[in-house]
Parts: sequence; C-alpha cells; structure tokens
Amino acid sequence: MFDGVERKIEFLHGTTTLAFKFQHGVIVAVDSRATAGSYIASQTVKKVIEINPYLLGTMAGGAADCSFWERLLARQCRIYELRNKERISVAAASKLLANMVYQYKGMGLSMGTMVCGWDKRGPGLYYVDSEGNRVCGDLFAVGSGSMYAYGVMDSGLQHDLSVEEACELGRRAIYQATFRDAYSGGQVNLYHVHSEGWTRVSQEDVLMLHQQYKDQA
Amino acid sequence: MALQELCNFQDIFQDSITTLCSSVPFGRKTGCDYVSGLPFSNRTNLFNFFTPVAEYLDESPIQFGQISTIQSSSAISSQDSILSSLAVPTSLPLASSQSVPLPFPMSHGTTTLAFMFQGGVLAAADTRSSCSGLVACPASQKILPIHSHLVGTTSGTSADCALWKRILARELRLYQLRHGRRLSTSGAAKLLSHMLHPFKGTELCVAATLCGWDGGEVDGGAKTDLSGRRETTKSQMTDLEKTSLAETKTQSSASITGGQQCSARKRVSLSGPSLCYVCSDGTRLQGALFSVGSGSPYAYSILDQGVRWGLTVDEATSIAREAVYRATHRDAYSGNCVDVYHISSKGWIRRSREDLKEEYYREKERQERRERQDVTPPE
Repeated sequence: MFDGVERKIEFLHGTTTLAFKFQHGVIVAVDSRATAGSYIASQTVKKVIEINPYLLGTMAGGAADCSFWERLLARQCRIYELRNKERISVAAASKLLANMVYQYKGMGLSMGTMVCGWDKRGPGLYYVDSEGNRVCGDLFAVGSGSMYAYGVMDSGLQHDLSVEEACELGRRAIYQATFRDAYSGGQVNLYHVHSEGWTRVSQEDVLMLHQQYKDQA
Repeated sequence: MALQELCNFQDIFQDSITTLCSSVPFGRKTGCDYVSGLPFSNRTNLFNFFTPVAEYLDESPIQFGQISTIQSSSAISSQDSILSSLAVPTSLPLASSQSVPLPFPMSHGTTTLAFMFQGGVLAAADTRSSCSGLVACPASQKILPIHSHLVGTTSGTSADCALWKRILARELRLYQLRHGRRLSTSGAAKLLSHMLHPFKGTELCVAATLCGWDGGEVDGGAKTDLSGRRETTKSQMTDLEKTSLAETKTQSSASITGGQQCSARKRVSLSGPSLCYVCSDGTRLQGALFSVGSGSPYAYSILDQGVRWGLTVDEATSIAREAVYRATHRDAYSGNCVDVYHISSKGWIRRSREDLKEEYYREKERQERRERQDVTPPE
C-alpha cells in the first residue's frame, strides 16, 4: 500500500472498533489490545479519544496518527466554538478532520476513525480515514475483527432498542470479535453519546464476559 | 487408499482369478495375504477394473488445460511439437515454480458452514459462484452429498471440489463393498487429505467440511449404548466454553473408553455425528463448528453466539440460515440463495432452497412496521 515509507511505529490495524446509531444516540464500543506482529504489546490501550464533551473519535490504524490528528481536531473544534458561539456539528467536525489528513494523502498516514456525536440534527456518525474517505452511516466497524462484529450487529440492530439493549449489543459484538480474532482482546470499552454529551458506560474484561455468557447459555 | 497404488499395479499383474480373493481383506501395506500367505499376484482381479483417472494422474497436473508455452516458443513443426509435448511431462516437476496461466480469473468467494448438535450435523451454504466480480452462477450447489450419511460442503475452486467429491464418493463405495461397513467421517477426511496431498503446492484449491453420521451396519441395539457414551463424551468435548484443562481430561477419558471398546469388539465403530475440515494445503481438523470462505467471519460471530449442543433441529436450522444470510448481506462474493442440509442417523435431508432476497425484504418490512409503531404515540 504505502511503498517506500518505513513503518517504525506500532499499528493498530489489529483491532475491533464499532459504532452504531439508534433512537437514543450513538453507541461506541472498542477493544483494548495493541499488537506488534504476533506480540501483544498492550491489553489496556484507550482506543476512544474524547475530542470534547459531546464528540468522540475511535482509533484504528497508527496510534500516533490517530491521537495526534484527533487532538488537532479538538483544537479546531474549540476554535470554531469560540468564533461562532455555537457547538460544531458532527458533519463539520468530520469534514475538518478529513480535509486535514487529505493534504497528507499518500505520505504514509494510517488512520481509520469514526467521529461520533450528537448535534442539532440528532445523533451523528461519520467514518473518516487517511485515504480521504468520509462516509456518513448508521453502523460502522473498523479493524481486523470488524467482520465478526458486523455479523452480530446486523442481526441485533433495530432502531427502537433501549439504551441497555444497545449497550449489550455493542458489548456482545466486540466480545464475539475478540473470540475469533487473534489481534483483538483485552477489555471492552463502551461509550454512549446522547443529547447531553457522552458517558462512559462500562469497561469489562473480555474474559469476564466469556464467563458471563457461558453461564447465561 | 491412494489411486496411485492402483495405477502402479495395473500393468504389473494380469493373472487369473482365484476363489480365495473374495474372502481376503484388502491389504495395502504388506505384499502378502494374511490368511494364506499367498503372494500379491493372486489377488489381481481386484485391480482389473477401469480407473479412468489413472491417465491424468500419471502426467503432471500443471499440464492440464494449460496453454502450452513449449509449443508456441519452439520453431519445430506441428507433428514434432506434439511428440515433444508428450515427452515433456516426465521431466517437469509436479509443483512448477513458475505461475500457470489460468484460463479465466478464479476467486474463492463463498460462505459455507457446518456444526454438530444433539440432532446430528447441520450444513448450510450460499449458492453464488463468482469469477472475480462476475456472478458466474447464482444457483450452484455447494453442498454435495457423498453417500447416504455423508455430505461435504465445498469451498475453493468449484470444479476441483466437484471432481474430488466424486472421486471420494467412489472410493468410499469401494471401501464399503470390500469391508461391509461405511468408512467413518474422519476416515473419509483422511482419505481425501491423502488424495489431495500430491497436489500440494499446485493451483488446486479445495476446502471442504465433511459432515456425517457414523454408524455401523450392525444391529442398532449393540450400538446404542456405544453411541450414548460417545455422545456424552462428545458433548463434553464439543462444549466450546470448557477450559483447556477440562478438555484434555475429557479427551483422555474418551480415548480410554475407545480403547476399552476396541478390545471388547473387533469391528467397533463409534457412532454419532462427526465433522471434519479438509483443505488442499494439508489441513485436516476435527471439530464441532466450522465455517469456510470469504463470508465465514460474518457467519462465525452468529454461530458462536447461538450454537449449543442442546439445540432442536428447528433452532439449529434458523441459526444456520441467519448466519448465511448475514454473511451474504456483507460479503460481495456470497449471495443469492441458501441451502440447508441436516444429517441425522437416518441420513441426510435437504431443505428446499430459499432465496435470501425474500428474507431481506421480510426483514425490511419488519423494521418499517416497528418504526411506524414507534412513531404513533402510545395510548
């Protein structure tokens, strides 16, 4: 893909991050494993970046790229707020990010992020990556374990889920992905974005979930 | 039993038939008969049957269907070039290092799955045959029955899978005729694996899961407690949530009971559902749940959620259908319809093929109905 660019930093392609919209907002669920080849570098990586109290960004790809650009995005969002005396919309925030990274297209950036928030138009979810893609959607999963997560989410997602059910769906989807994908694991970090901003719902170890689902079955 | 063995023996022995041959068990490894100590030559009538496959196994599989680069590059006349191409196979190695020009671009897109449960084995697959972007056939059969109690799902190159399944079916029938009992699923898997081994490193691509119900032709009474014991150990073994420590314990206990049974009866066959995955790269795995193909990750997550030993046939069928449906929804190379086969002690049963387009529209309708209910204020 990026020929001639040496990769020295750790990459988080081996990951599972997901986000979906439903009637009460956006659920964001991520795993927490970082791998360098077949070595598990960390089981406690924070893959959700808190851009501001009502916007979240997920991290997949290069950890440094994601955290740097999203911090830059946070700065830009704050500047927008001060200039225009109102919160930035999710569409505008994702557009800012997409335009920033597009200037570096082809230079070896690796970032696949989902910008999630709640604005005047309701819940907002955009997928932005370093290729220049910016897509609006109801449901995204990014990373090596994304395919496993899609199966669970597709079968369980309905518009009228309650907050509890939606959180459980996100948790289950990440758990199933960590079960099959070697590069995903650690803990499931779950966030819920609603009209007042985001709340961190839970952080659960995947092994605890394994026991829990086994006992339920 | 390797077909090569048959091929080697064909031109060596042409002796007449003896009456001993029919009662003698076929021994592949030793050159002598166990019972009477007669040499090989007296059992040649077993080899005197037509093996049409023999010719193509003699020549290198790379030669097959290949646009001959030798003929085009050489300046020899047409007659000489034919002769030279016939002479070439013996000098070329079986696994050619240079890339072979394929007649058309091939893709291995599919979703097939199979799992064991108390009611037998359930196999499901989509029906799309794709050719890198083109849907070559929207109604292909990816689950091929091999015999009354064995079914194989196919993934990889359709032609390779279909051919090798037919060869496997023939070999299993021959085994059944010679030994008076059906070969077990793991035996069939081993047979297929050994037949595919000479082609390792070539373009051959077969990834099949063999799903079957093992059971002897002997009376059911003697077998039932065997199958009961086998099924309980199996249920312990197939419970995916067991810790690794527990698994090794149950496996060792299963082998102990197997050993006891072997000593008790000469011709023992553990009966019950059985599932094996065989791949042309040499992999041969026995397990409780497999999904193969480009759509398999999507199917795996659904199956991992729902599959348990204690499912009823209807529940199992709906999980299998749901898993294939979700995979076809997300994977471009899977789609069209879904085939579901159920293998029980009575043999395999095939559900009628269902178009997944209908399922998609039904689900959309359900969603719309729910949203409409949502919109109308509760009273």
